This record gives sequence, C-alpha cells and structure tokens, in this order.
Amino acid sequence: MSISLPTYTRRETPLLGRSKRVGAIITTGLRRELRRPASIVVTGIGAALTTISSILIVYLAPFLFPGQLLDLSFFYVPASNGAILFFVTLMSAVVGSGLIADDLHSMALTLYFSRPITHGDYVLAKAAILGPLISLVSVLPLVITPIVAALLGFFPWDVALAAIGLSILAGVLFGGFYTAATLFLSSLTTRRAYAGAGVFAMTFGLTFPAQILASATGNSVFLYASAWENYLAVARALFGAPQTTIDWPPALAILLGATALAALSTYARMRTREVVAT
Amino acid sequence: MLVETNDLTKTFGEVRAVDGLSVAIPEGAIGLVGPNGAGKTTFLRLLLGLLRPTSGRGRVIGHDISDGIPVREKIGYMPEHDCLIPEMTGVGLVSYMGRVSGLDKNTAMSRAHDVLQFVGVEEERYRKIAEYSTGMKQKVKLAQAMVHDPALYVFDEPTTGLDPRGRSEMLDLLRTIAKTSERNVILSSHLLPDVESICKHIVILDGGHQIAAGELKALLSGAGDRLRVDVRGDRAAFGQRLREAGHEVEVGTTGLRIRRRAGIEADVFRTARAIGAEVRYMGSEIRSLEELFLELIERNTRGGA
Repeated sequence: MSISLPTYTRRETPLLGRSKRVGAIITTGLRRELRRPASIVVTGIGAALTTISSILIVYLAPFLFPGQLLDLSFFYVPASNGAILFFVTLMSAVVGSGLIADDLHSMALTLYFSRPITHGDYVLAKAAILGPLISLVSVLPLVITPIVAALLGFFPWDVALAAIGLSILAGVLFGGFYTAATLFLSSLTTRRAYAGAGVFAMTFGLTFPAQILASATGNSVFLYASAWENYLAVARALFGAPQTTIDWPPALAILLGATALAALSTYARMRTREVVAT
Repeated sequence: MLVETNDLTKTFGEVRAVDGLSVAIPEGAIGLVGPNGAGKTTFLRLLLGLLRPTSGRGRVIGHDISDGIPVREKIGYMPEHDCLIPEMTGVGLVSYMGRVSGLDKNTAMSRAHDVLQFVGVEEERYRKIAEYSTGMKQKVKLAQAMVHDPALYVFDEPTTGLDPRGRSEMLDLLRTIAKTSERNVILSSHLLPDVESICKHIVILDGGHQIAAGELKALLSGAGDRLRVDVRGDRAAFGQRLREAGHEVEVGTTGLRIRRRAGIEADVFRTARAIGAEVRYMGSEIRSLEELFLELIERNTRGGA
C-alpha cells in the first residue's frame, strides 16, 4: 500500500538478528575509519614500521644481542619493541579517541539507542572497530616476525609456530587493554582531542614516571603502574625470558583487571546517557 | 490498544517523573502534551524500553515495555535535538540506521532511497549531512525513523526550528504517515496547533499524572450541558452577576462557562446590558487545544495547591 508518493511503498521485511545489527555498526565504523587520511597514515606507518623494526631485530640479532639464545625466549625481544608502545598509543589516540566521543558530540547515541540494540551491543561494536586496528600494530608484527625468522632459517618452524601463538596472546592482551582504556576515555568527553590527549597521558604519564620512580627508589613496585611494564612482565613469562623486575602474575592480574574495569565503566557510562532529550 | 499502562511509576531519587500513570491509548495518531517537567520525556523513554519502571506495568504494541529490543524493533523514533552523523551522506546514514534496525544491506539501501524521496530529500541525498539546512536535517531524521517501516512512530517536537514553509511540509508528511493504515503516531509537541492538526486522540500530562485523555474532538467540544460565552468587558463582574441570578458559572481565562438551563440566554444579554459588556460569542463550547490545555493545567495547579 502506498503512503503517498509512488516512490514510497510500505514493505514489512523480516528483521535480521542482533549479531547482524552489531555487524553493521562494526563494518560501517571500520569503513569510516579506513577512509580517514589520519587513520590510514597512522595505521599504515605503525604496522609497517613495527613489522620492519621487529624483523630487523631478528636479522641483526647476532650483532645486536651477542650471546642471546636463539630459542623461544628470543621472541621476547621483538615483543618488547618500543615501537609497539608508541604506535599503539598513537593509533588509540587517532583512531579510537573519537569512536564514542564523536557520537556524544553529534548526539548520534540517540539514534543508536532508539534502535533494537543494547548498550552492551554498542560498546562491543566500538571495541570490535578499534581492536582489530590496534592489533595491526600489537599482534601482526609479532606474528610476521617468527614467520620471517623461520623462512630465513634462523629458527626451526616448531619454535616459530610456538612464538606465533604466544605473540598472539601477548598482543591481544596489550591491544585489549588499550582498546578498553581508549573507549573509556572516549566515553568521558564529547571532544576526541581530549580523549586522544588522555591516551597519551595514560601511556607516557604512567610509563616514564613509573620507570623513574622505580629506578630512583630502587623499588620495582612502581612499575606495576605502567601498562607497558606489566605487558613486558607477562611477555617475559610467556616467552620464557628471564624475569628481571616485576612478577608476571600480579602484572597479568593488573592488566586484565584494568581492561575489565575500563570496559565495565564504559558500559556504565553508556547506560547513563539520555536518549530522549529533556 | 496501542499503549496501556497501569499505575506506571518512574522515580529518580525523590522526584516522581511519572507518578502512577494509567493510560489506555488507542491506535491511531495520538498527541502527547504537557508543560515542561510533566513527565512526557520519561514516558517516551519508558515506551522506548530505555528505562525500567520503578513500579507498575505497561504494554506497547503488544509487548511489555520492559522488553526493550522487541519494542524498539517496532518503533521509529524521531528525536527533537540534532542527532545526525555530520560526515555521513543522507542516504548513507538512513541506510546505516536501517541496517542497525535489522534490515539487510540491499533492503536498507533501497528503503533509504524510498523514504528520502518520500520526505523530499532527493538530489541532496548524496551530500554530507553537515551541509544540510535545518529543514533537510529534520527530514532526514524523519526518514531514519521510517526506514525499517515501524508500526509506531514517536515524533518528539518534529517541527522545531523549521520556517513556516518547512513546518507545513513536515506536518503534511506526518499527516500522511498518521493516515496510513496499521501505522500509529505518538506526537509529543509544545506546538499545540501541530498536535491539533494531526492527532485524533490526546493525552495531557502534568506533574507525572494524566490530567486528561480522550478523543480530541470530544475534549475540545466540552460538556454538552455547558454554554460558552465570550464577552468583551469585565468578565469577573459578568460572572458575579450571573451567579447572583442563580446560575452556575465558571470564569475561565478566555470566557465563561455556564450550566445550561431555561432562560439562560436572556439572562446573559440582560447582564451584558446592565454592566455595559459586549457578548462576542454564545453557544456550544468549542475550544482550541491551547485553551483546553491552559484550562486543565490551571485547574490541576489549583487542585495541587
């Protein structure tokens, strides 16, 4: 039956399930991010530089790290590549900071929450946009590096395969933390710049002071305040590298706890948003 | 019934935003009016399944209001405030919202073109929303509410910010939707002439309560046993004189309402001559929605005080 114009016809079509609705948010969000020049540049440069520097570390290992055992523990070296920290922070700031803040600014949350999705669906979809992009820096280089190392004949394939599995674990842990923390910061403001600044503040405001305090006082407990140091402690344990500073179980608990807390806080923030303006 | 609530209450701390609201709203076009703080917004949020009631029950188009997702599958909501994603194109946003509502990609795109053409955003549909005028943005907001062809439309102040021509176009569109079979409209607006021109039924809220509800025509025509008299002159004195003559008179903000009885017309003209007032209208009570609204709010305020 036509409403008025011949171009509009009422058509009741069966609606797809919630997973498809969330999928639509994810694909549209990824497409939007990958069309933004800043996102493309940061993602491209971040993934390329991290991968290349990790491969170079492997290639030049005999010169750079004389005496380093060429076994599974060697892959802690690329996993501790400082470029990962820098580019994960940069990507979180450039790509992730606006994911919720922009919706708050444009008040588009109203459009989302008046649709048949839950607040949890929305937060999950935003995490699924940012997570894969961060993993291009936190996981992909660590996966490519053992493959290249095995192809070059530096390591047997069984060691390389084990390194790939462990690298995925470590990368997902670190990327998951930054995804959750960035979304939380993004949910606190309507300005993506503020959220981006918050990401940098979180990284460098905790990592460097923690290192300085730990070294000045000789008390390594300060290092638990740094997500990067916690990640390194877990990575050391995963790859079997010697533990030097902080223990991995509390480090893992802090990383997982902070990730869960950030995710729950983001969800709680979204639950409090007004959909119908007063 | 489109919406049925029974003793529905929603409190925020000490504030009872919706207070024991029991309404039975029939299918069709329904106006939801009330002063600021009347509970309209909270009521809409409850209808959309975005708030859980503190107590009481409610059903919207056959679903319990606490069901959330099944309710929102059948509702198209057009918010009052700006909510569009500025960097998206009109057609991109509407099809995107169709997909978030559960339409598949192709259907969503096809429906987006249909509804944008219906609302009159045609050539501009490929432009970014940031470049749209207020009128076009309102139309895109309407289109996104229509894209999944919901059974119930909730329009919140749909003509806000529109010039007279844009307002007229928007009202024509809303009227067309309201006249479509099996499609229902809840229109929340402060612009009472808009509500009057579209809705058949009305619910008036104040202080979280329903203070009037029913068919608009019946409410505006008032009680059959009352005579409406508009006078130019001292209305209070006019009313007093009639009371002294034994009539039951209510002096309102715009005129007098007098209980009909034999000889009332003669008494009215006699009183007018005596105090030098001019009778401008005498007959059945026909009020505008604005008059009815003001009268009910005033009565409710007096009752509350």
